Amino acid sequence: MSPKIENRILATPIVLFLLVMLGFPAVLDILYSFSEVSFENLRAPTLNGGKNFVKVVNDPEFWAASWFSLKFGVATALSECILGLVLAVYLAPIIRKNNWMIAVLIMPMIIAPAMMGLMYRLVLHEFVGSLPHYLYLWLGDSPAFLSRENVFLTVFTIETLQWTPFAFLLFYMAYEAIPSEMREAAAVDGTRPWRMFWFIEVPQMAPTLAVAFFIRFIDGFRVFDNIFVLTGAGAGGSTTSLSIYIYLSFFRSGDIGKALAASVILFCVAFVILFFAGRVLRRDRA
Amino acid sequence: MKNKYKDLPRWAVFAIAAFVMNFPVISTLSAALKTNAEISRNPGLWVNAPTLENFAVVLEVTERLNIFSYLHNSLVASLIGSILPIMVCFPMAYAVARRGYGTNVIFPTVVNLRAMPLIIFAIPLYMMYQTVGLLDTRLGLGLILAVVNLPLALLLLINAINDVPYELDEAARMDGARIFTILVKIVFPICLPALATVFIFSFITAWNEFLFGLMLTTSEAVPMTVGASFFFSSGGGGVQWGVAAAVIIVASLPPVVLGILMYKHISRSMTAGAVKG
Repeated sequence: MSPKIENRILATPIVLFLLVMLGFPAVLDILYSFSEVSFENLRAPTLNGGKNFVKVVNDPEFWAASWFSLKFGVATALSECILGLVLAVYLAPIIRKNNWMIAVLIMPMIIAPAMMGLMYRLVLHEFVGSLPHYLYLWLGDSPAFLSRENVFLTVFTIETLQWTPFAFLLFYMAYEAIPSEMREAAAVDGTRPWRMFWFIEVPQMAPTLAVAFFIRFIDGFRVFDNIFVLTGAGAGGSTTSLSIYIYLSFFRSGDIGKALAASVILFCVAFVILFFAGRVLRRDRA
Repeated sequence: MKNKYKDLPRWAVFAIAAFVMNFPVISTLSAALKTNAEISRNPGLWVNAPTLENFAVVLEVTERLNIFSYLHNSLVASLIGSILPIMVCFPMAYAVARRGYGTNVIFPTVVNLRAMPLIIFAIPLYMMYQTVGLLDTRLGLGLILAVVNLPLALLLLINAINDVPYELDEAARMDGARIFTILVKIVFPICLPALATVFIFSFITAWNEFLFGLMLTTSEAVPMTVGASFFFSSGGGGVQWGVAAAVIIVASLPPVVLGILMYKHISRSMTAGAVKG
């Protein structure tokens, strides 16, 4: 067997699997997004040009969902990275000697986001939740965490608390990987800790910071599980992310064409983001 | 060391961070150990009279909410979703690691899936599954969980194969071994520890998945994460909070146990995609 044929054979399983599981759905996605389709005529849809796309673009809820996803992605990624960096750098001296602390700190990200959402449903509940209980006890009042005004802050905090460990873990590893000669040389030159942090350690960790921010942004942008089980996109739709918008258009409204058109738009946006992020991150590392 | 209390502020910060981030877990655990009467009387963290009553109710087989079938579905689908990626990725990982094959299209495509909002494939998958009869089956759910796990499996397997000395392949080739013999008899056994990590990490991810469980199952193949949310919809008499809390604990237990046993390896796999991606 020539190496060329061997390579093709080695690639066959994954390529076939991807074509069936994602290639075929992607084609369906595009085809059906240009069709008049409902649960009744699923098998025999009729083309209707770009009508679905017009419907999506004219739907204020779509723009609200896009805005929510963007805002949520940027805000959570930013807060997770800042908190994670602070924890990693500040706690590094004691973690170095006590490795088990990592296990305690990364526990939240081992729990399913959906389960985390359910836990918060219990924790924040007006009558049986422990948090309102203590707030009433100590402050005499407790905010309505899931009301329209507060719900963004609530889901933002929940996401941040669950995924700060991810940023922390990345930054801790990057921090420990900084060559010790670098710190020693700077220390010999009399560099103060604060300057050491900003001018030596942060630049050394810059590629990791960029990657962590990007991953957390993407995950925040496509958020579904925890918000869905906590609010069901509730509080007047103010926590509808793009993923939830697509889900609701499909299952609740049965407007398959609209849901698919939104999927195709999301696909294109994700593709563009990935393309540029890939170029930037690669250049960063080179 | 100047004095032994120097690290005290750091320990305090650690304790606060650990407590705040794990607060919902602690609170849910405490609710699960209380009777419903005690939960409404005393919603705080302290449990006066711990009871396992709620867990007993959870494990009782009921007509409407059968937790054993959810656990069974999750187990089977997660096993498919963690073994299949290894099987389809292993040959590809070998081609990438040893020959640099597929680094232009296949490798970046798979790795970028990590960042794709997979809901864009959910609706066409729903239609496809309906046509071929995979809707609401464990196999159907397992297949898409395998897709979710592909990017990390491929990355970790490439790393693992890179660590296997190339001389071993060459020696085997000299002896006349074909590519499959090398793959199955030489590289695969050496990679077993790495494969175990991939398997466990994939299993945790698959077990924790919610979106596809929600969309692609209705009754027969409902996984634990989706089943747990059913306990929060009140069946007339209001939500039984103690039972609901116990369900969450049961649903979260398998990944947490695996995570604790393997945390050193898990932390490496969780960041592998990020550092190499």
